[in-house]
Amino acid sequence: MEVSSRRKFLVLSLSTLGALVAGVAAYPLFRYLSPQPTGGEKGRVNIPRAQVGAGQAHFFQFRGHPAVVLQSAPGVFAAFSAICTHLGCIIRWLPENGEFLCPCHAGRFAGDGKVLGGPPPKPLQAIPVALSGDNLLVG
Amino acid sequence: MGLGKKMADFIDARLGIRDILEQNLTKYLLPRNINAWYTLGAVLLTLFTVQIATGILLLIYYNPNTDEAFRSVQRIMNEVPFGWLIRTIHAVGSNIIVLALLLHMLSVLFMGSYKRPRELTWVAGFLLLLLSLGMCLTGYLLPWSQLSFWATTVATNSSQELPMIGDAAVRFLRGGAMVGQPTLGRFFALHVMGFPLLFGMLVLFHLFCVRRVGISRPPFGHDWQAPPPSTTFRHEEHPGGIPFFPHYVAKDAAIIAFFLALLLGVVFFAPGLFFPPAAFEPADPFVTPPGIKPEWYFLWAYQTLKLLPSEFLGLAVQGVAVTLLLLLPFLDRSPERRPSRRPLFVSAYVLGVALFVALSVWGHYS
Ligand code: HEM
Ligand code: FES
Repeated sequence: MEVSSRRKFLVLSLSTLGALVAGVAAYPLFRYLSPQPTGGEKGRVNIPRAQVGAGQAHFFQFRGHPAVVLQSAPGVFAAFSAICTHLGCIIRWLPENGEFLCPCHAGRFAGDGKVLGGPPPKPLQAIPVALSGDNLLVG
Repeated sequence: MGLGKKMADFIDARLGIRDILEQNLTKYLLPRNINAWYTLGAVLLTLFTVQIATGILLLIYYNPNTDEAFRSVQRIMNEVPFGWLIRTIHAVGSNIIVLALLLHMLSVLFMGSYKRPRELTWVAGFLLLLLSLGMCLTGYLLPWSQLSFWATTVATNSSQELPMIGDAAVRFLRGGAMVGQPTLGRFFALHVMGFPLLFGMLVLFHLFCVRRVGISRPPFGHDWQAPPPSTTFRHEEHPGGIPFFPHYVAKDAAIIAFFLALLLGVVFFAPGLFFPPAAFEPADPFVTPPGIKPEWYFLWAYQTLKLLPSEFLGLAVQGVAVTLLLLLPFLDRSPERRPSRRPLFVSAYVLGVALFVALSVWGHYS
């Protein structure tokens, strides 16, 4: 009785102490391994209008993810996340067909982001674009 | 019956784990007069575990490239959350490990535990010491600071004085005429893969020797006797001794806690202790900073080289000292282990330690 209650006390206090120490060590470790803010999470992106010809697409990084801006008709610009809504591959622009193709499972999207065919469940995520002088302001 | 016990029964029925644990914990008996110095091996195991864990974490952000290395270390220190903690523990830890290694070696020396049948334990241990110093040396270059660059330049330069092959040896160590990207590449590979792999194998061998031969009985007390000479293998038993678990494990834990407290004490209250100003400037191959010194555990060698009339003589003296220590169990073969009965050895021991300390202090202030 005497021995077993001492043992219980010892085990309990040692495991509490151990858990505390583990917690104190785990927090810095978790922070050290956590992804760090890359800075550009909020920012807008400036793209010279000349880089995006009529019927052409231009790919760029937007808040840490690939994105695409498209001049679908002269003077009409649209921007999308370039991440396929199916399983996350990066879409390609096929100028000859005037549509986006996802190379992974042949998902197809129109120039306005709508799904034309294949497995993607949702249209491409649109990003606002505005013209300011000779630049396109995305975001 | 709890789930834990069920799982333990499952494993035990297949692998006989309880038996192994019992043989190595509660039924593993140590000499009754065992002392605290025997905990240093466990302390070293713990410190090396910390070193490996922090080393792997540093690898996530470190970049072994002369253009990037210094900046990547700066980033770890200033930007990555708790990067300063990981890096300082790793850097200070290396110093605490050398301290623990020296104490382990000195205690084993004083108690004569290197003697037959523990010669191989000693040789493996001494090689571990040399490997650890090798890891310290190669790791020192990685931050690519002025300190790293010039300490490595000087250290590699000392092999210049080797007869005949001196120049070739320096070029080979550096991978070029001067310390540069090739040096960083090979030091990095050695520091993170080459040495640790060798080190791990040697530690296993060292522990195997310790366990197989049995822990030595400390050579103190009236009833101590040298074990009878034997040409066949004999495991040293300690009938009536104290169990390893829980008795000695508690002592191990206490001394381990002491060393961890020492490590964290330096990390939190004197983080600059082992970082002279040259550690905070990026390497510049065209500017040697004034007063560059090696780390404290290499100061004895540094001072020897300065004192002796020729560098070759200095290297030769160091080589002889290291070889003598490595082969000590084969040179000092009497079975007597009691310090009180070994006046010659104890005098040489005290003189040797005094010489090491004196040379180091002199080197530090010269
Ligand atoms: C990485 C470094 C090392 C580790 C992890 C290590 C580990 C250990 C452990 C766990 C023990 C058993 C407990 C003890 O007596 O402390 C031991 C014993 C021993 N070590 Fe080491 N050791 C290391 C380095 C060394 C060095 C540098 C030497 C000497 C040059 C050495 C020589 C010995 C000897 C002779 C014993 C047997 C002690 C006896 O049975 O009385 N070891 N070591
Ligand atoms: S990921 Fe794009 S179609 Fe499957």
